[in-house]
Amino acid sequence: MGLNNELIVPRAAGRSILLADAGTIALPRTGAAERTALQSGFVTTTLGKVIQWGRYSSLWPALFGLACCAIEMMATGAARYDMSRFGCEVFRASPRQSDLMIVAGRVSQKMAPVLRHIYDQMPEPKWVISMGACASSGGMFNNYAIVQGVDKVVPVDVYIPGCPPRPEGLLDAVMKLQKKIAGELPGSLLG
Amino acid sequence: MTALPPPGTPTAGLDPLSEQYEAGREMLGIEPGLDAIDLVEIGDSTMELNMGPMHPSTHGVLRLVLNLDGEVVRECRPDIGYLHTGFEKDFERHTYQQCIPYTDRMDYLSPLFNNLGFSLAVEKLLGIEVPLRGQYLRVIMCELCRLASHLLWYGTSALDLGATTAFVYAWRDREKLLDINELVSGVRMHTSFIRVGGLLADVPDPFYEMVGAVIKTFPKLIDEHELLITKNPIWRQRTLGLGRLSPEDAMAYGATGPVLRGSGVPFDLRKAQPYSSYDHFDFDVPIGRTGDVYDRYLVRMQEMRESLKIITQAFENLPDGPVNTTDRRVALPPRNELNTSMESLIHHFKLVTEGMRVPAGQVYQAIESPRGELGFYLVSDGSNRPYRCKVRAPSFSNLSALPHMVRGELIADVVAVIGSIDIVLGDVDR
Amino acid sequence: MSGARAADLLERELPAAVRRRDSGFDEVTVWVDRADLVAVCTLLRDHPDAAYTTPVFVTAVDWPDREPAEPRFDVVYMLRSLQHNDVCRLIVQLTEDDPHVPTLEGVFAGMDWHERECYDLIGITFTGHHDLKRILLPTDWDGHPLRKDYASFGEPVAFTHNLEWALPAQERPRDMPGGSR
Repeated sequence: MGLNNELIVPRAAGRSILLADAGTIALPRTGAAERTALQSGFVTTTLGKVIQWGRYSSLWPALFGLACCAIEMMATGAARYDMSRFGCEVFRASPRQSDLMIVAGRVSQKMAPVLRHIYDQMPEPKWVISMGACASSGGMFNNYAIVQGVDKVVPVDVYIPGCPPRPEGLLDAVMKLQKKIAGELPGSLLG
Repeated sequence: MTALPPPGTPTAGLDPLSEQYEAGREMLGIEPGLDAIDLVEIGDSTMELNMGPMHPSTHGVLRLVLNLDGEVVRECRPDIGYLHTGFEKDFERHTYQQCIPYTDRMDYLSPLFNNLGFSLAVEKLLGIEVPLRGQYLRVIMCELCRLASHLLWYGTSALDLGATTAFVYAWRDREKLLDINELVSGVRMHTSFIRVGGLLADVPDPFYEMVGAVIKTFPKLIDEHELLITKNPIWRQRTLGLGRLSPEDAMAYGATGPVLRGSGVPFDLRKAQPYSSYDHFDFDVPIGRTGDVYDRYLVRMQEMRESLKIITQAFENLPDGPVNTTDRRVALPPRNELNTSMESLIHHFKLVTEGMRVPAGQVYQAIESPRGELGFYLVSDGSNRPYRCKVRAPSFSNLSALPHMVRGELIADVVAVIGSIDIVLGDVDR
Repeated sequence: MSGARAADLLERELPAAVRRRDSGFDEVTVWVDRADLVAVCTLLRDHPDAAYTTPVFVTAVDWPDREPAEPRFDVVYMLRSLQHNDVCRLIVQLTEDDPHVPTLEGVFAGMDWHERECYDLIGITFTGHHDLKRILLPTDWDGHPLRKDYASFGEPVAFTHNLEWALPAQERPRDMPGGSR
C-alpha cells in the first residue's frame, strides 16, 4: 500500500496536518517503509488515511465545460497532457457520479443557478476547481452578464489563473487538490 | 388490444363483447360505460425531455427541450443564453485595440477569425490596407486556425458517436497547431495576433520550420483521420441521411459555412467577396449533395485539405516587407523618432492612452470563419470607441435551423445533428 | 458597391417606400418606413433581380441623444443574395415611445431568433412574432442591456485611486493609500 507517511503527520487530537513543502506531491511513493511492509505482508495505518488515499487517487470530474477553458480542459484529458497519469481522467457525464467539479469558463447570470444545481446534485465529499480568470473573478468581463467569480455560487478549493490556463495549470491544480484532500480527515470519521 | 381479465374473476375467459362479460363487470362494480379497451390503450401522449445545459454532447451549455413521441422527436426548442457574456456591451466601453482580446473569446475555437473580422471592419472605416506580407501572414494563421477548429470538431463529434480514438488522434494533431500559436503570440488559444492595422509582430524564425512541417505532415494525418471514420460502417449508419437540410431551407434560415455548403450551395465568402488577398490563392469550395450529417462531415474534411493548399501557396509566396501599416492614425511612431520629435512623443502617448479615432459611419464586414459567415456590423461616431458593434455569429443562425433538422428523427440522432452543425456556444450567446 | 442592387430595385419598383438612400464606405443603406417593411423585404426576396433570400441579421442601434430631431432607434436589417453575391442594408427608424416593427418571420424563417435577440437586448417589439420572449438573458431579467442608458457594471473594482467609490467605508483597508480617508 503506497501510503505516504512522510507527508502526513498525525497530531494528538486525531487531526492531520500537511507538512509537505509546495514542491512535493502527495502521491504514492515507494520508500523504505513500503518495502518493509511489502516484505512482511503487513501495513499499519489509520482508516482515515486509507479512505483519503482512495479519494485523492481517483478523482472523478464532472464533464462540465462552459467556455474557452473547457477546450483546455479537453486538451488536458487528451493525448499530450494525459490527465489519467494523475488518476483524474474519468470524466463523468452525470454529476451524481462525480466528486470534482472543474468550473471551466465564465459563469453567466443565467448559468449560475444551473451550476449550483449541478453542484448540489454531486454526492459528498466533493471539491471544486475554479479554472481560469473568468471563473475565479469574472476576468475581463466586468459587466451585466457574468457572475464575478464562481465562489459567489459554490465553494471553491483551488483557483487557477490564466485566460485560459495552460493544461499544465490544470494539472498543477489537480495535484494541489490531491494534496489538500490527503490532509483532510474523512467527514464520516469526524463524527 | 384488451387486457385479459385475471383468472377467478367473474369475467374470466369471457368475450369482452358478450353480455355475460358486461354482467360480470357489473358484479365487480365497474360502471357499464367504462370501456375496458380505453383502460389499457396507451393514449396519444408525448414526453418533454430536457437535454442540457449540462450534457456531454451539447458542446457547451446548450439546452434543448425535446418533445418526444416514443423515441421520435416531434419538436425541439433550443434554449440558449447560458453563456451570454455581453461582448457587444463591452465593445462599447473599450477602445478599438482593446476590443481585440474580447473578440478572441467570442468564438473560442477560431479566435483569429474574430480578430480578423473586427480588424477588417475597423480598417474599412479607416480606409487603410495592411501590407501584403501582413495579409499573407493573416491568411496563414487563419487557415491554421481553421485546421485546428475543424480538427476539434472532428474529434468531439466523433466522440459524441462513440469514436474515442478519433478524439485522441485529433488532439494529437491540434497540439501542433497550438504550438504555432504559442510561438507567434505566447499563448495557445487566445492569441490576439491580428490587430487593427496589421499583426502583433512579425513571425519569429522557427515559424517557417513549424509551418513547413505542418504542410509536409498534415496531408498524411488527414488521411489517417479519414481512414478512421469516413468508411467506418458505424459512422456511416449513424450519419447517412440524417438531419437533412434542403438548400432553400438552409438559405431561409441564414445558415452559412459547411452547413450551407453541405446542402449543396457553393457559397464561400473567401471566393465570393475576397478579403485579405484570398483572391491570390487557388483553392476549391467543396459542397455536399444531400445536406445530411455525413455530407457536412465530408465537406469539413475536404475543407481541411483546401486550407492546406492555401497555407502552402501563401507560405511559398510569402513576400518580404513590413507586416503593419504605417498609417499614423493607427501605427505607433517608430522608436527613433520618439527621441527627437516632441510631436511624435505626444502622438505616441495619445495613441496608447486614448486609442485611435475612427471616422464616423457604419460598415459591415463579413469573413468566412470555420462555422460560416462571421460578420461585424460596426457603427462609429468618430470617437475612440465603437458606438455599436453587432456581431453576426454564424453558429447562431446555424443553430436556429436545428429544430427543423431534427424534427422526426430519433432522439439518439439529435446528438449527431448537433455535432454536425459545429456550434460554439460562445459564438451563439456572445 | 454592395447594396446598390437592392436600392436601385426599390427605387424602381417601390419608390414610395424609399425614404432616404445613402452610401458610404462602399456600402449603400436604404431607409424605409416600418409600414412598408414587409412589402419591401418580400419584394427583395422574390424579385429575380434581387433574390435576397438569406437573412444576415437584424439589430438596432440606440441613439438617445439625437431625439427629437431624429427618432431614437435605428433597426438595421441585413439581407444577403447568394445568387447575385450581394448584401444590402435596410434601416427602419423608431421613436422611443413606440419601438415596434412588424415581424419578418413570415418572410425569412431565420429572422425568428434574430428578432428575439433584438427584443431581448435592445427592447424592440416585433409585432406578430409567434414567440417573442427573451432568448439570451433569463426570462425574469429587467431592462435591455444594449440600450445606451443601461449601466453595465458587474461589480466595482477597487483601485487605490477609486477606493471611496468602489468600496464601502467599512470594507476599505486602513493601511492602503487613500484608505484612511
